Amino acid sequence: MTVTEEYRPVFAGKVLEELQVILGRYPTKQAALLPALWVVQRERGWISDRNMAEVGEVLGVTPAYVKGVVTFYTMYHQHPVGRNFVQVCTTSPCNICGAEGVVKAFLEQTGAKDAGATSPDGKWTIIEVECLGACGFATPVLINDDFVENVTPDKVADLVKKYR
Amino acid sequence: MGYPHKPHPKETVVLSQYFGDADARTVKGWTKRGGYEALAQALKMEPVTVTEVMKESGLRGRGGAGFPTGLKWSFMPKEKKKPHYLCVNADESEPGTFKDREIMRWTPHALLEGTAIAAHAIQAEVAYVYIRGEFTEPWTIMEKALAEANAAGVFGKIKIVLHRGAGAYICGEETALMNSIEGKRGNPRIKPPFPAAAGLFGMPTTINNVETLAAVPQILKRGAAWYKGLCLSNPKSTGTKLFSVCGHVQRPGNYEVTMGFPLKDLLYDMCGGVPAGRTLKACIPGGSSVPILNREETERTLLDYEGCVAAGSMLGSGGVIVFDDSADMVYQIMRLARFYAHESCAQCTQCREGTAWTTKILERILAGQGKTQDLDLLLDLSENMTGKTICVLSDSCAAPVVSGIKKFKNEFEDYIAGKRKPVMVA
Amino acid sequence: MADSLITLMIDGVPVSVAPGTLVIEAAKQAGVLVPHYCYHPGLPVAGVCRMCLVEIEKAPKLQIACATAVTEGMVVKTQSAPAKDARKSVLEFLLINHPLDCPICDQAGECELQDFVFQEGRSGTRYGEYAKRFNPVEDFGPDVLYVPNRCILCTRCVRFMDDVAQEPVLNVSERGDRAFIGIHPEARLDHPWAGNVVDLCPVGSLLSKDFLHKARAWELDKTASICTGCSQGCSVTLDTRDEVVVRVRPRPNLDVNRYFICDHGRANYRWMNRGDRIEAPLVKRDGELHATDWDEAFARVVGILRGASGKAVALVSPGASVEALALAKRLLSTFEWTGAFQVVMGEEAPLAGVPNLALRAERAPNAKGAEQLGYTRDYDAAVKAAESAAVVLVLDDPDCPVQTAGALIYAGTVLPPETACRAAQVVLPIANVAEEDGTFVNRDGRAQRYFQAKPAPGMARPAAWVLGELAAALGVAEVA
Repeated sequence: MTVTEEYRPVFAGKVLEELQVILGRYPTKQAALLPALWVVQRERGWISDRNMAEVGEVLGVTPAYVKGVVTFYTMYHQHPVGRNFVQVCTTSPCNICGAEGVVKAFLEQTGAKDAGATSPDGKWTIIEVECLGACGFATPVLINDDFVENVTPDKVADLVKKYR
Repeated sequence: MGYPHKPHPKETVVLSQYFGDADARTVKGWTKRGGYEALAQALKMEPVTVTEVMKESGLRGRGGAGFPTGLKWSFMPKEKKKPHYLCVNADESEPGTFKDREIMRWTPHALLEGTAIAAHAIQAEVAYVYIRGEFTEPWTIMEKALAEANAAGVFGKIKIVLHRGAGAYICGEETALMNSIEGKRGNPRIKPPFPAAAGLFGMPTTINNVETLAAVPQILKRGAAWYKGLCLSNPKSTGTKLFSVCGHVQRPGNYEVTMGFPLKDLLYDMCGGVPAGRTLKACIPGGSSVPILNREETERTLLDYEGCVAAGSMLGSGGVIVFDDSADMVYQIMRLARFYAHESCAQCTQCREGTAWTTKILERILAGQGKTQDLDLLLDLSENMTGKTICVLSDSCAAPVVSGIKKFKNEFEDYIAGKRKPVMVA
Repeated sequence: MADSLITLMIDGVPVSVAPGTLVIEAAKQAGVLVPHYCYHPGLPVAGVCRMCLVEIEKAPKLQIACATAVTEGMVVKTQSAPAKDARKSVLEFLLINHPLDCPICDQAGECELQDFVFQEGRSGTRYGEYAKRFNPVEDFGPDVLYVPNRCILCTRCVRFMDDVAQEPVLNVSERGDRAFIGIHPEARLDHPWAGNVVDLCPVGSLLSKDFLHKARAWELDKTASICTGCSQGCSVTLDTRDEVVVRVRPRPNLDVNRYFICDHGRANYRWMNRGDRIEAPLVKRDGELHATDWDEAFARVVGILRGASGKAVALVSPGASVEALALAKRLLSTFEWTGAFQVVMGEEAPLAGVPNLALRAERAPNAKGAEQLGYTRDYDAAVKAAESAAVVLVLDDPDCPVQTAGALIYAGTVLPPETACRAAQVVLPIANVAEEDGTFVNRDGRAQRYFQAKPAPGMARPAAWVLGELAAALGVAEVA
């Protein structure tokens, strides 16, 4: 049995005020789209189809348009992710410094089966990402908004413990 | 190497002078170190005069293209009829490059000051700083620095807005960056029209890289002649460059040297060379989109725009990726192809399909299922992907493939002939 | 003026065109079709498919013809080796994920991918060992199916909905070779002009559910016609297979509908194939209608008309041709004449991106033509007047509620129901719009010809012929 919940808008109260400030920075409403999507993701953890429709309504663009933008940019989540979202760079400069070993260590330490899947306890999603722009500090790892440098497989256990 | 660390004696410290100096991030700290004087000076100058100084200095875009900055600014309409915009490209995503991040983390005010001077020179009222979404720490630091600088009122009428990217390498392409700010998919635009004619929101726009703009206050303060004098080889390449050295070196990190500096000295003297017991096999001098150099070529390359071209590659973004003899060149080239396939925006047929196909062929070779024709096929596909698309992501995928097959053919042939154990599953 | 034109060479042929003309358009003047996908004269330029790469002398790289404006003295080579190789490679890249669906794909025979691959593609694949990208078929809405596997991402459909329909309900989703055309789950492709995306799609990716698996392109005969759905008068092509209309598509007409027709007009063809037609002239004998031949039917009508005088009322369909309506009036020229029609009305649905183009409220093709010939819209008054008229002529209006003391002549495609014009003395079978040549006048006063696409059933003939013969027999054919 499905229960349809009443949709709770993201842009209300203080968040709507925040959007007004954002809108003031651009000459068009459409230009506030990427910042608005970040706000949605901050508030809800991910961006649902219904959220996309709300953003479209607020900015005067169609839901399909918003969806086209959301699916282009890899940092917007289109489904819920684990409480800790871990992004490990495995592009060549980090790759030759053992990045894939770091990924493996994270998967082992968190119990997440594959990169992309959420761990059974719902606390971790580990993904491989492309160049994070910190190649001299291999391997860089983004854990939620925390950018951790110089991660090696032996440091992963402590990191996981810290964030668990 | 993380900061703070003492600069190597062979470095020419200009942009990196305050890397590691946390006090430089504050307005007070920055002004104490001579900051915002150049901006005050620029705001009293005619925009066209500021541009002349840049032209005279020989400053060239440090994002990868190396286009003369003063010349780029001069493309903007002299007579102001519409809003002008400046976009700052802080989308640093070229594999091997991590210099803009350091500039923003340690000297945010250098960037802000350079941005404001540039905005004044091109008569832009608003400047958007496009910071890639993954740069959470630089974002926080820039936000704080901007707030402080605004409170101190240093920018006059110029408004600087930070805009956060959301995970797309292609948004570092100048027209895709503009589309992204406008709230669209990060698709590069066909040119013409050129940004200086119709760019952001259809208005005259200039896009500059972080490192380029960070140099601007210094040039204005110390003079174009000073900057022009910083030159070790070709007079068309002046000033200093931050080289981001990574991969198989003992001391990776950012090193600032004068244009024309020998790559050999950078790698062996400053970075300590490759790890003990290993030998240098390959080096990409300018970020993954430029051809790979073998050891012999690496050791005779001079690090400026012309020198790298003479060696068979390009200066690009200055992201120096070092591979020693333990590196599997075939695997790394596959990994680079996979990067480009992931980042392709999907507009152009050759890029959309070609980057993925290239990746698949390389994966098969690594899975032990390669065929001798595969190398010719890869070269043919790379040729078809070069010079035929809206932007050069497609060409960038071809560069490591073509140079890799040319210079490390034996490694490919070993996989194909079954002399090397497969490292992937088909 | 000759001196404001730009002259250039395309494949050795000099052409002179207006400044600002795109090379791809200038090439048409030279008789050269530059292969292309994403370009369409009715849509904004995208420049993404890269198919139209041509060699231009003095340009360092190949240029796309769809986004390059002509310059004086430009020398364009579309058939040089670099240009052909580049196009060949684009086709190869398109085919690596494109499924070998031709045997089951509706587009086969009118597919631009087939056409250009056949013309200048590789003869074999080099992509043998890899799996092709797969996505399931999607239902986009009322009439449109999307087959992602066949999509070449030319984005014509997205640009149409964005810029011409101005309802951005389609997008490009994802990135790289994972990209596909998407639609938001809460949206449907139900815009009144959305069906055009099916025509615009160069391949069989966007399909019409109505036409799905109905016929093969090479089995179709194509005839120029005018849509009868409303008073806009869009140019259409009627596609017939074995003399049955199976599809309506827009015909380019830069003055009226450019390259588009609305979904109402697109779906408006099944009635052209109705089986329940009057197939022979009928005359009333002993209170009942009996089938006969044209001679007897004509003789009966002429007799009625010669023997009557006074008022005549013509109640006509606003879908009858100008010729038929004129001759109907001519036929009754010896009487005190009233002519009227009524038009079914509906909601107007403009195509925002094209000036003066809409599905019009008047759902008939020739109301203006009827008006110009003197017919009025005082239908109810005319019906009333018909009660006491000597002769009533009803032209293709089966539901006409007329009752008359005089003689009722009915000319139509289908038999009127018992309650209506079955009281006619004579029933004359006529052809419908797909079965005759004729003229309509659209709401802007533009006279447009339509042509016969299939034969009329049985003994039915064009109304203009029927009425013309009658007028000649009555001696009123010539203008006084």
